[in-house]
Amino acid sequence: MKKTLLIAALACAPTFAAAESFQEAFEMNRAMYGPDHVFTWNGNQYHTNHEEEMEARVKATKANAEDLLAKAMAKNKEVGELGFEWKLTKDILKDAQAAIDAGEYQKALDLAAQAKYHARIGIQQYHYAEKNWHLAVPQ
Amino acid sequence: MKIIKTLALGLTVAAATQMTHAADSGFDLKTVDPEADRMALQKYYKDRFPKAEISDYVNGIYAVDAASREQWVELEEFPPYEFDVEKGEELFNTPFANGKGYADCFENGGIGIRQNYPYWSKEEGTVKTLEQEINECREKNGEKKLRWGKGEIAQVSAYMAWTSRDKVFDIKVPEGDKDAMAAYLEGKKFFYTKRGQLNLSCANCHLQGSNVFIRADLPSPMLGHVTHFPVFRSKWGELGTLHRRYSGCHKDSRSKPLKPQHETFRNLEYFQTYMSNGLVVNGPGARK
Ligand code: HEC
Repeated sequence: MKKTLLIAALACAPTFAAAESFQEAFEMNRAMYGPDHVFTWNGNQYHTNHEEEMEARVKATKANAEDLLAKAMAKNKEVGELGFEWKLTKDILKDAQAAIDAGEYQKALDLAAQAKYHARIGIQQYHYAEKNWHLAVPQ
Repeated sequence: MKIIKTLALGLTVAAATQMTHAADSGFDLKTVDPEADRMALQKYYKDRFPKAEISDYVNGIYAVDAASREQWVELEEFPPYEFDVEKGEELFNTPFANGKGYADCFENGGIGIRQNYPYWSKEEGTVKTLEQEINECREKNGEKKLRWGKGEIAQVSAYMAWTSRDKVFDIKVPEGDKDAMAAYLEGKKFFYTKRGQLNLSCANCHLQGSNVFIRADLPSPMLGHVTHFPVFRSKWGELGTLHRRYSGCHKDSRSKPLKPQHETFRNLEYFQTYMSNGLVVNGPGARK
């Protein structure tokens, strides 16, 4: 499991042509099998978990929950500055804080992971748009 | 959720076919050309809906969908915005505490000038909208700013549009003015950029998606989007401004929406109104 995780994380880095089709393979497998599925792409094995889902799989302690929440908030700030913040993220972050306050650390970890995922994909959208927005303009 | 996925997929396919004749210029300050954009957009709609007259796009979805049009003709028989125009006129003509009024702030006493908005202000280095200047007029005369989305500001704006009916939009992006071009370009880019949890751009719904059902709704063509604002929307049960609509639609992509009169929305209005150059003012309007 550990090895597949590492490979998946590397493949997520935007190295182009290859990353794109990995993305397709990842998304298809994720859509068909959900999380925790292992698939083969270009001879290597990968799992279908988002990096944030892995980050939430730590010991459910207050410190870990606070740590992931802080990371999620930072990412959301980053995506906000790019103008690509998603609608529900702020409330999810609030819910994560509330879960910490209530001592529900696993719940907080999961919510923070979700918010961080939103922010990461929003940042991806920004980069995609910078390269591709013009493709939709009629001429 | 399933429906949304299918929709997104359908739009991806539409976007892919789009690419075959995607533009190869007009995306940076060197090549941006508002007039070429406007002609290309008209051509797009001519090809797409050959029977619709360009001048009819001021009527939104009703230009291209016969069934909606029938309902709307009925709606317009007793225009739901009539009261707002009257109220707007009254507000417009009621002096501020200092004795001055709106008429003192605008060219031609504020009558018949809707078609000149928004415009590029060289002095301020920004796009100015009518609603913005309504509030600036108030502040200059010691009155409180009005809220942007609805109520009195929409009523005053409705009256001013009413006095401008049938005047032709002729928005200028001053040639050689880099900052004005940049504002136009930002508005254009905003319109075509996919965003939010649903990964949708304005164009996905209002260009590729014009007159294609999105759940229960038919999004209107973006050509002519701005001509009839403010709008009395049955769903709101009241009059609202263009930027209220922008916020709502921005949120429809599941993005955190910008606030009315944000610079980006003003740039968007600049781009969209330029696209509607040659069409007439027909505000206020009525929509479902
Ligand atoms: C999910 C699809 C969708 C997206 C994305 C979307 N809209 Fe809309 N929009 C609609 C629908 C549906 C309506 C109501 C029907 C109509 O177009 O009048 C509407 C209405 C409008 C109207 C009012 C039209 C009228 O005739 O009164 C404007 C203006 C508008 N949208 C602009 C935008 C802008 C700008 C964006 C991008 C920020 C955007 N929309 C994104 C679906 C969408």
